Amino acid sequence: MENYQKYLDPAVLARLEGLRLRARHIVEGYVSGVHRSPFHGFSIEFAEHREYTPGDDLRYLDWKVYGRTDKYHLKQYEEETNLVCYLLLDTSESMRYRSAGAPMSKLEYAQCLAAALSYLILQQQDSVGLVTFDNEIRALVRPSGNPSHLKQLLHVMEQSTAERKTATGPIFHELAERFKKRGVVIVLSDLFDDVDAMMAGLKHFRHRRQEVVLLHVLDPAELDFPFNETTLFRGLEGLPNTLVEPRALRKAYQREFNGFLHRVKKACRMHRMDYATMRTDQSVELALSTYLGARG
Amino acid sequence: MVSENAIFAFGITNLAMLGWLAVAAAPILIHLWSRRRYRQMSWAAMEYLLSALRQSRRRLRFEQWLLLLIRTLIVVLVVLAVAEPYLQQGILAFTPGGTRTHRVLVIDGSYSMAYRPADKSRFEQAKAVARQIVHESPRGDGFSLVLMSDPARAVVCTPALEPEEFLREIDGLALPQTTADLPRTLAVIDEALKSGRREQPGLEREEVYFLTDLGRVGWASKLDAAAAAAMEKLAQRLAREASLVVIDLGQPGAENQAITELRTVKPMATTVEATEIQAVVKNFGRQAQKARQVELVVDGRSVQRQQIDLAAGGTASVGFSYRFESPGDHAVEVRLQSDNLDIDNHRWLVLAVKPAIPVLAVDGRYSGEPFGGAAGYLRFALAPRDDDPSHAMVRPDVVPESALLETDLARYDAVFLCDVAQFTTSEARAVTAYVRGGGGLIVFLGDRVAADRYNRQLGGKDRLLPAALGKVVGQVKPGIDPLDYRHPIVAPFRGRERAGLLTTPLDKYVTLTVPADSTARVALATASGDPLVVERPFGRGRVILVATSADTSWTAMPMWPSYVPVVQELLAYAIAGRAAQRGALVGQPLGATVSASTVGASGTIETPDGRTEPLRLRAEGDATGWSFDDTMTGGIYTARFGQSTGQGELYAVNVDTVESDLEKLSEEQLRAEVLPGVPLDYQTTWQAAADVSPSHLGRRAVLARALLYGVLVLLFVETFLAWRFGSR
Repeated sequence: MENYQKYLDPAVLARLEGLRLRARHIVEGYVSGVHRSPFHGFSIEFAEHREYTPGDDLRYLDWKVYGRTDKYHLKQYEEETNLVCYLLLDTSESMRYRSAGAPMSKLEYAQCLAAALSYLILQQQDSVGLVTFDNEIRALVRPSGNPSHLKQLLHVMEQSTAERKTATGPIFHELAERFKKRGVVIVLSDLFDDVDAMMAGLKHFRHRRQEVVLLHVLDPAELDFPFNETTLFRGLEGLPNTLVEPRALRKAYQREFNGFLHRVKKACRMHRMDYATMRTDQSVELALSTYLGARG
Repeated sequence: MVSENAIFAFGITNLAMLGWLAVAAAPILIHLWSRRRYRQMSWAAMEYLLSALRQSRRRLRFEQWLLLLIRTLIVVLVVLAVAEPYLQQGILAFTPGGTRTHRVLVIDGSYSMAYRPADKSRFEQAKAVARQIVHESPRGDGFSLVLMSDPARAVVCTPALEPEEFLREIDGLALPQTTADLPRTLAVIDEALKSGRREQPGLEREEVYFLTDLGRVGWASKLDAAAAAAMEKLAQRLAREASLVVIDLGQPGAENQAITELRTVKPMATTVEATEIQAVVKNFGRQAQKARQVELVVDGRSVQRQQIDLAAGGTASVGFSYRFESPGDHAVEVRLQSDNLDIDNHRWLVLAVKPAIPVLAVDGRYSGEPFGGAAGYLRFALAPRDDDPSHAMVRPDVVPESALLETDLARYDAVFLCDVAQFTTSEARAVTAYVRGGGGLIVFLGDRVAADRYNRQLGGKDRLLPAALGKVVGQVKPGIDPLDYRHPIVAPFRGRERAGLLTTPLDKYVTLTVPADSTARVALATASGDPLVVERPFGRGRVILVATSADTSWTAMPMWPSYVPVVQELLAYAIAGRAAQRGALVGQPLGATVSASTVGASGTIETPDGRTEPLRLRAEGDATGWSFDDTMTGGIYTARFGQSTGQGELYAVNVDTVESDLEKLSEEQLRAEVLPGVPLDYQTTWQAAADVSPSHLGRRAVLARALLYGVLVLLFVETFLAWRFGSR
């Protein structure tokens, strides 16, 4: 908490508030529409009845008891919250990239997405946790449904810096072991890693009966490679620099990159994971609502 | 520049331009420079970029080198094109792949080429350049030689493939002392080119070299619009088919003086009295000439000398008086003090000097009495000093009409027909042949004349009489119309009204009708406008028809003071034709009819340059005549017939002095005035022409054009490849 206090200075708060407001704006824009959250809890064992109080979800009203007793009782289940959502935010160095045509870096975009999802999930009284990682786990916030939990999530997100290499495979394996409760694992990453190792990790989640959603955050330049002048590309995450005539290499690069996307998508389809590409030049609201709408 | 055993070798016209080949390094330098100037950026998806790079590295390197090569090649080709390369053939010029050239060498044959600016004349310089061109041409090339003279002629028309033979033709070429006929020369060049294509189809290229002093007279002679347009069209076509090169050997501002005219004051020369000889000297230069010596040479002997001053561009007349001691042909020459162009410093005149001028009068009413018959007064008028026949210039013989056929007319300089009634066919033929051969015929009419027989036997188109005879009429209005004294017969009467010509009484005359398209001229007319004296040249002689009688039967003219001078002028004019036939201009044919005694004999002619050529006799109507065409040199020509060892007949040939004007055209004037819009190469000296080796002149433009086409193609290829490589 002491650490947390340190970030309560106005500038940080303002930034946090910015992210919060942005998340709220995104979610309310979405909620005010016809959609509901497509994330649901899992079937769980009945525990007891509780008397209805205004504001309770009418879905859980036990009509049979009402028929017998003429009183409103809600079914109480073993679990208090139906859904546990784990947000896995990639903070490797490659996420720092932002091209000239993009309004924000991939990390900022992923942060927005994570914040919006957190807000949305907390809004519907579900639990949400957060893990930031690169080649190791940098921060882990346990899932909680407390509305005040959002602030902590946002703070951790804001804290994250993208400086190191990615190594998703071992981290996903470790997290799969750690996440005891079944829920939805949402990965926000550019997935610039060894695809096979990464998929092995994700398969581990599936093995633990977690639902996996891959939100593939990409900069438009990474897809289009729109450069014309001779450019020295400085490699991130320890990769070498190289001087390239971009026009001559555009087609070859795009072929390679599309091959990578194809492999990821194919693996997702095979292991029944949800996959969506998030271009950082698209509005977050639109990208999220499109994805959630398709999922719902 | 070419090795002996090379099939092809390249030469470069502008060697200095090759320095610009260093610019070919520019694309490589730009490439290296662009690799040093790059932007930098962080890149997340580096793994995929590296993978793409690994797979495309070889292709990219190949594309990069290919583009660099093309760009470098573009620069190299542009520099080479500007440097004007040319292709030379080596000794294997007959290789099917080789390009052989037909070179037409056109040497200016106008006599201004005889001008000597230094020790060599322009003509000798032209021959030296021609030899140079032949020496420097590769074996296998063909040569034609055209002399730009008047008339232009192809000395070698079908291309000569043996340089040695061709060089002999050049060495043997003599300057013909004519002017230049450019339109005809172009036609001869066209013929030579066509002949080359026909006879030597392997000669693929064609080049025409004009070796000339660019004299304005020869190059920019006045042509009518149609001829000028035709010449321009022909020149344009020649320029399309062949490379035209003008090598200018002329010098601007050249000074020259010439004798432009030489004549006797009277048309006849006799031993009886001194002959007045007149020469006209003209200064064609821009500087005045002082005390120029003019010399009279008779039969090769200098007899008189005078000095004259000449203003710039001015003329002066020099008169000599010389009495010939002996009859016969005499060669008269007037020499002007020598200058750089000697040809026109001489002028010749041949005078057939006689003890007296033999004249035949055929009398239609022959009486034998003094002043009797139709020719009685005429005889007196021809030889007024009958008392001393040895001093009479004219010796008239009067014969009756019946003697016409049996008299050898050729012995007489002039024949008068006086009131001759009619002609038999053979008489008409004899008289016609006499005039055609150079005799002078004067016809007087009278009561006995049968006009219809005259018209039938002698009249009509291309026949002897200059006018058709009509009916006899009396004079309605007194007086004679001299027609403004325009005709030479009456010109001496101008201002001498007291001679009584205009008041000559005329009772009767025959109306004469001059055909509309005839060359006949009316010398004198009646006051009412009828022609009285009509003349025209016929063959080499002249015919004069007088509408009235020679005696007093129709007119009182024989009693009038004007009669003797009129008869003398008629005679002088009639025999001037025979005198004129002893002279010609260079290039014009010489010729005469031969006397009956020489028919059947062979003849020769000696030319001024020492040659003796046979003369071909040929029928000219009823007479036999000869003509000689090869009069390309000025001077005295001597014709001999049979076994004659005597002097022979002399003929004078002189240059046409229009060519003495040495004003020359500049390059700009040549391009603007003479050959507008005709592409040609202009060289000022033969050394410059030698620098640009003749065999390449035509090809270099072709090669440069080919290189530029190559550049164009490479530019397209480069653009396409750059786009294609960039979009892969």
